[in-house]
Amino acid sequence: MARIGVFVCHCGENISATVDCGKVAETVGKLKHVAFSTDYKYMCSDPGQTLIKDAIKEHKLTGIVVSACSPRMHEPTFRKAAAEAGLNPFLCEMANLREHCSWVHEKNEMTTDKAIDLVRILIEKVKINSALQPIRVPVTKTALVVGGGIAGIQSALDIANTGHKVILVERSPSIGGHMSQLSETFPTLDCSQCILTPRMVEVAQHPNITLYTYAEVESLDGFIGNFTVKIRKKAKSIYEKDCTGCGLCTTKCPQKKIPNEFEEGLGFRPAIYVPFPQAVPNKPVIDREHCTYYLKGKCKVCEIVCPTKAIRFDQPDEVIEVKIGAIVIATGFDIKRSNFFPEYGFGKYKDVIDGLQFERLASASGPTSGAILRPSDGQVPKNIVFVACAGSRDPAKGIAYCSKICCMYTAKHAMLYKHKVHEGKAHVFYMDIRSAGKNYDEFVRRAIEEDYVNYIRGRVSTIYERDGKLIVKGVDTLLGAQPVEIVADMVVLATAGVANPGAEELAQKLHVSYDSHKFFAEAHPKLKPVETNTAGIFLAGACQNPKDIPDSVSQASGAAVKVAALFSQSELTREPLVAYVNRTSPPMYSTCVGCFLCQSVCPYQAIEHEDFKTRDGKIIKTVAKINEGLCQGCGTCVALCRSKSIDLHGYSNNQVYTEVVALLNDY
Amino acid sequence: MNSIVSRAKELLENKSVQVIVGFEAGPTGKARPAFVTYPSKTDILIFDERCVQNLAVYLTKKEVKQFGKIGIVATLPIMRSIMMLISEQQVFAENIEILGVSTEGKYLDIADIQVMQGYIEKCDLSNPSNDQETLAMLNKMSMQEKFDYWQNELSTCIKCYACRQACPMCYCTRCAVECNQPQWIPVQANTHGNMEWHILRAMHLAGRCISCGECGRACPVNIPCHLLTMQLADQAHKYFNVYAGTSEKMSSVLSTYEPNDKESFIL
Ligand SMILES: Cc1cc2nc3c(=O)[nH]c(=O)nc-3n(C[C@H](O)[C@H](O)[C@H](O)COP(=O)(O)OP(=O)(O)OC[C@H]3O[C@@H](n4cnc5c(N)ncnc54)[C@H](O)[C@@H]3O)c2cc1C
Ligand code: SF4
Ligand code: SF4
Repeated sequence: MARIGVFVCHCGENISATVDCGKVAETVGKLKHVAFSTDYKYMCSDPGQTLIKDAIKEHKLTGIVVSACSPRMHEPTFRKAAAEAGLNPFLCEMANLREHCSWVHEKNEMTTDKAIDLVRILIEKVKINSALQPIRVPVTKTALVVGGGIAGIQSALDIANTGHKVILVERSPSIGGHMSQLSETFPTLDCSQCILTPRMVEVAQHPNITLYTYAEVESLDGFIGNFTVKIRKKAKSIYEKDCTGCGLCTTKCPQKKIPNEFEEGLGFRPAIYVPFPQAVPNKPVIDREHCTYYLKGKCKVCEIVCPTKAIRFDQPDEVIEVKIGAIVIATGFDIKRSNFFPEYGFGKYKDVIDGLQFERLASASGPTSGAILRPSDGQVPKNIVFVACAGSRDPAKGIAYCSKICCMYTAKHAMLYKHKVHEGKAHVFYMDIRSAGKNYDEFVRRAIEEDYVNYIRGRVSTIYERDGKLIVKGVDTLLGAQPVEIVADMVVLATAGVANPGAEELAQKLHVSYDSHKFFAEAHPKLKPVETNTAGIFLAGACQNPKDIPDSVSQASGAAVKVAALFSQSELTREPLVAYVNRTSPPMYSTCVGCFLCQSVCPYQAIEHEDFKTRDGKIIKTVAKINEGLCQGCGTCVALCRSKSIDLHGYSNNQVYTEVVALLNDY
Repeated sequence: MNSIVSRAKELLENKSVQVIVGFEAGPTGKARPAFVTYPSKTDILIFDERCVQNLAVYLTKKEVKQFGKIGIVATLPIMRSIMMLISEQQVFAENIEILGVSTEGKYLDIADIQVMQGYIEKCDLSNPSNDQETLAMLNKMSMQEKFDYWQNELSTCIKCYACRQACPMCYCTRCAVECNQPQWIPVQANTHGNMEWHILRAMHLAGRCISCGECGRACPVNIPCHLLTMQLADQAHKYFNVYAGTSEKMSSVLSTYEPNDKESFIL
């Protein structure tokens, strides 16, 4: 016979100020099967928990109802206390007298009556609860890192250094991401390549890291600890083992005028190319879209000149399948290009460039070998205007957020310009200077005070060309919105940071959520910034929102620790509150008729097929089966299944029905 | 319909199918379902305006399935039912042959499911016009009037479940009403419980009803229960632009989500 214990918590005054806790305990104490009932100031405190444990033992309780706060807060606490007293943790239920009652009602008799009802229904439920055992699932200790920018590199290295295998998948021909394009980096002005390339090399050499460049994730199945990923390795058209990276082919390719992505269109590259000199791996790929052979059917110059005969024109894409246990998404970001701005000429003026183009101009390895020259005529600009918040913080353009990095890199750009063109004048139009961060504001102050950059607080309304000069019209809001007109030689737009193209598609493939701007969404904005809503998948770097290198690297290491923590266990345990499809005796096997409508409704792809076969292997019946590793216990399938063949452990049809009936019945 | 007979004979003779499900004339002059397994018996098959039953209901019955491959005389609603059953994995396309009958009552040569799909797509898939009229009348009523109307109609339900048995889409081997742990729907017939049953049935058929009207015809006490599921078929079309039984890959409207689904009915 059931012997239920009820423990009513005052939560200090949080509950007892409006609910008569003593009366609740006394009333429910008289109900059938309630063997013990009491109230106490803080049930979650040590003495509170001891009170519960002692009562379980002393009164031989078969189930308890802790009537306190939200189970989201303290369910683990009380379930653990129950377990310590020898009671199966799933025989402990929590009635939420705080969020569901005391906090939302005034002090009166009805409030106390409602509290009694809330406890009553759970007394009835816990009577029919069954003892549940945690689910154990194995863990494949290999991680997948998607995206080889600085964030992906850092995560891969950190995970690999804990002794676990890592597969790093990068879409472009080399790892490095945007950081490899930068000249110097704020706030220290150290050379970006110099600090990045050692890490890139380390990735290439690390025994625990398998690097797939020119590759993309094709699909993902499975669940935390047990994913199966398909990776498409796009055909590079070279046999990498034979290629020595001599680069002869790239000098002989007749296609010489393909806009160079790495140089942000400020330079050209051949059809067989290595994106930049320090690329990892340093072996070329053939860009089939521009290669004469693929376009016209003849050429093969590279094949002729290659000393090791490494060119493979007929190489197909290869799709490989690997088992992994965790994923770090580090696919980074992109920026809006100048053609996004009608007011600044839609990208029509050659000397209106974006921030990444400026980085390439300022970079010693860039198209001008580090000289700041106008793209139009190669002249040194004497007057340069930087426009911060180009697109960012502009709801009218659909980008209400702050891109976070532009204030800092604009100050950097202005400084770099002044360091290279001493007599030149640099102006910055800004909305606010956002330079929170270690040594960040000092950096901006240096630009203003030591390099005499002219900061003007106001927006630029239009830019147009006159006599080979760019006329920049704006206002100075600190001078009472006085109109300002600057005749500039060059304009640099600090354009908004946006999600990478393909981010949405990737999110859908990986079944993780993303926000309205297509940035990957974290599980909790404050307490779970590294996790996604899908267990076992983590975020690093600018794929979550635009962020700078230190932030990207910190998050990358954070994600690596999450993966390492996961891999430190050989088995995962999960709450057994999952759905199950019933089983009956043959020839029915289950009341499930195999319509599989539940399969399409399950948000977690947790529903699989199970065949019942005769001894000679003939299928008698196919029914649904829940994968316990994937099921999140949302109950959607339970609601959908017409034959009521699915039920949920811990929240069964019967338990819910019992609660409803208890509420309708008098006591 | 000589072509039905000759095609049925041919299919049975060359053993393409083991049974033909069609219509024959019963002793009282009404049409009734026929299950023909010998080529020599195919002469009994008829098709005329008396043949309205939705024969697809037999496709999921084990007594019929045990014969092997099935040939079935199929009007538009039967074809749509077959589509639904294929999409819900209850019937496999390779296990049936279609002896099609057009909406004008003419024999249709239907080689495979793709041809059938092509035919369905060309037809008017809205509810039959007389039912549309009744629904229009009901939809003009106030909430209270509608409730009273249905309460009155359903009070006479004897819970014989003929509506369920007649429906090809009610193929569950254990119906939700037979579930007694817990007993969501009471066993005995009373107005309240009858309404619960009919609401449950309507919801289980939401977006799956192919508007054959068989449930209403089957009801021994003349409850127009087909109007409930037809109304939902209308709504599924209005909100999600789908008609049930038009594709073998279709998933139920209620179990799928498309980013551009209308949500105007969600408060
Ligand atoms: C003009 C400019 C100047 C900047 N200056 C500085 C500075 O001075 N200091 C500073 O701290 N920060 C600076 N930043 C910010 C810095 O660039 C970012 O913080 C950093 O690049 C973020 O790294 P990441 O790895 O998250 O993303 P990314 O650098 O964008 O790398 C993402 C990688 O993932 C790959 N990828 C994308 N999609 C896929 C896919 N589907 N599958 C596989 N691979 C994929 C990409 O090819 C890329 O290699 C600047 C940014 C800009 C725009
Ligand atoms: S919805 Fe129900 S009957 Fe259909 S497959 Fe799923 S469990 Fe089986
Ligand atoms: S309970 Fe939710 S997560 Fe689990 S199988 Fe059903 S629909 Fe999927």
